[in-house]
Amino acid sequence: MKPRVAVVRFPGSNCEYETARALDACGLQGVIFNWNELSGAAGSGSSAWVLPGGFSFQDRVRAGAVAARERIMDVVYGDAVSGKPVLGICNGAQILVESGLVPGWRPGAVEASLSGNLAPGRTGYLSRWIFVRAVPEGVDRCPWLADAGEEPIPLPIAHAEGRFVFRSADEQQALEMSVLRYCSPEGAPASDWPLNPNGSSFAAAGVMNPRGNVLAMMPHPERALNIHHVPPNLPGPWGEVRRNRGPVSEPGPGASFFRGLARYLEVQ
Amino acid sequence: MKPDRNELQAEIRNRGLSMTVDEAERLHGIFGRMPSPLEFHLFDIMWSEHCSYKSSRKLLKKLPSRASQVVIGPGEDAGVVRFCNHGGTDFDIVVAHESHNHPSQVLPVEGAATGVGGIVRDVYCMGADVIGSLDLLRFGDPLGRFGERCRGIARGVVEGIWQYGNALGVPNLGGDTEFHPGYDDNCLVNVVALGIVRHDRVVHSYVPAEARHEPYVFILTGKPTDDTGFGGATFASADLDGELGMKSVQVADPFLKRILAQANRDVLDYLFEEGVAFGFKDLGAGGIACVTSEMAAHGGLGIHVNLDDVPVSIPGLPPEVAACSETQERFGLAVPERVAEGVLAIYNGKYELPRLFPGARAAVIGHFTQEPVYRVTHCGTQAACAPAEAITEGVFYDRPHEAGEVPIPDPVDMPCSPGKDIPEMLLSIGGCSRGAVWSYYDSEVRGATVLRPGEADSCVILPVPGCPAGLAVSGDGNPWYGELDPYQGGAHAVAEAVRNVVSVGAVPICATDCLNYGSPESPAVMHQFHRGIEGIADACRHLGFVEPGEPLPIVSGNVSFYNQSSSGRSIPPSPIVAVFGRIDDCSNAVDMVLKKPGNVIVLLGPRHPEFGGSLYYRKVVGHAGGRVPLFRGPLEAEMARWVIKKVRSGEVRGSHDISIGGLALAAAEMVLASNGPGIVLETGADPVQLYSETPGYLLEMDPSCGGSLPEYARVVGRVTSDGRLSGSGWSVDIQDMRERWADLLASIVWREEGV
Repeated sequence: MKPRVAVVRFPGSNCEYETARALDACGLQGVIFNWNELSGAAGSGSSAWVLPGGFSFQDRVRAGAVAARERIMDVVYGDAVSGKPVLGICNGAQILVESGLVPGWRPGAVEASLSGNLAPGRTGYLSRWIFVRAVPEGVDRCPWLADAGEEPIPLPIAHAEGRFVFRSADEQQALEMSVLRYCSPEGAPASDWPLNPNGSSFAAAGVMNPRGNVLAMMPHPERALNIHHVPPNLPGPWGEVRRNRGPVSEPGPGASFFRGLARYLEVQ
Repeated sequence: MKPDRNELQAEIRNRGLSMTVDEAERLHGIFGRMPSPLEFHLFDIMWSEHCSYKSSRKLLKKLPSRASQVVIGPGEDAGVVRFCNHGGTDFDIVVAHESHNHPSQVLPVEGAATGVGGIVRDVYCMGADVIGSLDLLRFGDPLGRFGERCRGIARGVVEGIWQYGNALGVPNLGGDTEFHPGYDDNCLVNVVALGIVRHDRVVHSYVPAEARHEPYVFILTGKPTDDTGFGGATFASADLDGELGMKSVQVADPFLKRILAQANRDVLDYLFEEGVAFGFKDLGAGGIACVTSEMAAHGGLGIHVNLDDVPVSIPGLPPEVAACSETQERFGLAVPERVAEGVLAIYNGKYELPRLFPGARAAVIGHFTQEPVYRVTHCGTQAACAPAEAITEGVFYDRPHEAGEVPIPDPVDMPCSPGKDIPEMLLSIGGCSRGAVWSYYDSEVRGATVLRPGEADSCVILPVPGCPAGLAVSGDGNPWYGELDPYQGGAHAVAEAVRNVVSVGAVPICATDCLNYGSPESPAVMHQFHRGIEGIADACRHLGFVEPGEPLPIVSGNVSFYNQSSSGRSIPPSPIVAVFGRIDDCSNAVDMVLKKPGNVIVLLGPRHPEFGGSLYYRKVVGHAGGRVPLFRGPLEAEMARWVIKKVRSGEVRGSHDISIGGLALAAAEMVLASNGPGIVLETGADPVQLYSETPGYLLEMDPSCGGSLPEYARVVGRVTSDGRLSGSGWSVDIQDMRERWADLLASIVWREEGV
């Protein structure tokens, strides 16, 4: 029996189906629960949680702020504190930050924000492919990064508020939690636009909690699940494969995040 | 009893109606009395150009709409076409195409957002999941006399589209953006939506025949009714008038739509499980009044609507406002009374509509009746009572038409220095990248996008998870051609969209159109309209590829008249066509990125000296007339068949169609789409070879292909590794221009940096 992973649909989520499919394709079983299916989600025997992308509650107050205070998040919170893997993608990442699970030095306290993109001469939503790299500590400690390796991973971003911001007093530990970072196609650290697409501190694309079981990431791995998702003009080895093989439905760069979880759960 | 025409005139003026006195007189005749306010407004909407197609309906019959693959053609909210079989289940695609021009000119953000919101509803209500949308945008000259306003409108429209579409979770599959001074006073925002539905679960938009044997009720669901968009359909059918128009623009809410779409999905599942027949329709033009009367009349029944049961956000709305306002994010269902509670429980209980949006909920607001009468009550009194079929019958006009002025002939002098011309064309508003627009759109939500805007001639998605069949979409229409030759403008809109779909390797299966023109009351505009339709129809007849002898069917569409400035200047004739194609195995799909130095570049379609409307005339020669490229049906069809065959066999490595800017720009765009490779052409400084916009294709193929080329094809160059576009005696460093080409539109329209 494949391990179950609960995918939470908040009002306004819009990536739940492809996220569940991505889990299914990587040896897991994604099951979608509505925000108000509390007992169903709690009693589902899920081994992990994914909060998918979208615009939960219309980004009222701040992106993720309302969803973070829905009752189902109490269940997610309890599981996260007890060590179950939790992944938030895009709006899901915003919800994890707003619920105080990421960076989670003091679980429950909001200690970071995902602010509006900073790019020269441009505001608002940005959709494009970028490159990220997992840092070794993340690969070691975060189940979602267990299979991420050290090579640059191309992924798409699509957000208006994806800039991780921390208090200056927290800088050292924030740097340690920033385990997924924007980089050049060759893997060099990205400091500025356009390689760092939103001005995120430490070029952070993904931030984990101290225990490593919770990861909040802005790029969309479920949209890079197959080779056919990869843009044909992308630099680097994944682009090369895409150009040579055509848009085939074989595992792509984003699959590693879900495979990492599958591998972690297998060992458990 | 003959009505007093002065009295009717006063009613029209006082109520802000758009009907003529003759029409009001006819309406009086139907009732045999002075119509009530609601009756006046209801018929004003139903008889508007927007709803009744009164000036165009007869002509639209000329468009081919029948073919073996068509399930539902024009007439319902969207067209339905057979698409694929996966795991024993048949799937259809659902397509709809509309304009939201006037609202976008007045309030660009809200107008464009509502445009997206409206078109996706048309697809949802056929029972489908919406899987993509396209926008065909026409703006005024951003650097011209009204540049500031045009730039503001362009920014606002793009913002409205991304705010709505991205939040709704519908991937944006591109479309096109053109700038022409003819749109200075009247932009065009055409929107296309596409969906996928199980063939056995297509839903119709009328009360089913079963309602003759058991009680059926009408359920209204979604946003509580307010006074927004009152008069919207009428506004879309009249001259643009800022003051009046502002009040007619609706307010869209993608958040509520996303929840409604999910709840609708559960409701439809529930109704199919219960095994009951039902009708489902969105609320668009004319609001509750139109949806209830149309659902009843098209099912041959009547309905009694009680406005007191309508959930409202503003108390005390007059009956004509409650019934006719165009509050967004609402749907209507015709279901048996015995399942109504189950339906309401899904919306109001499971999906918590009342908690998520103040005042939102589903409610029973009407009962279908055997007597074919449309009756509305409000506060216990009758607000409308009319024979149901009279409402949907509509009015018709045969508008006079007459050819307008003859275009200016071609110039004598044809300068050509490619090293200078090509950068000039690429770095112009007509030739630069549209990447700035696409960068705001989410093209990948749903996780099914294979080719995004700018990577190939059309976007490609995988509509059914796990099924290899890909769907390619493209929308086109060249205002510079339409202006000089309305017939060719129509034909090329079809032909270019077909080429774009074919270029990735897909077989065109259907098309939609939106016919954007000036006032139908002008004989010159009506002539353009006639010629445009003839052009589209001829092209469709030539470009059917599914069954021999069958056309490319136009399965849905829209007519938008009165696109003109307050001074009466009409927009260029702007027929805009979207084409949808199927590629059986999507892993064969071809993009425009150059793959391998040493491969050859094959040109399909011999060049002709036909430069009218070309980018070359506009940017290099500075000439506004000339003979536009001819639509050559048999050759166009033959080229398409050959491309599809060669993509399928894996012999085509890269492809791009030839359109704006001719062969030179097509080749330059292939270099720009690639990271490193270039192209060397055998061509010298010859304007006909380089800049003529005669339709055709450029294909990257293996050098061994040379022996098997048809007579209309020849090798014209090869792929290099130097990032340049060169020819005999000329060379352009394309890599060097990439950044400026990619950034030009953002710098002019968004950063206001001029040139």
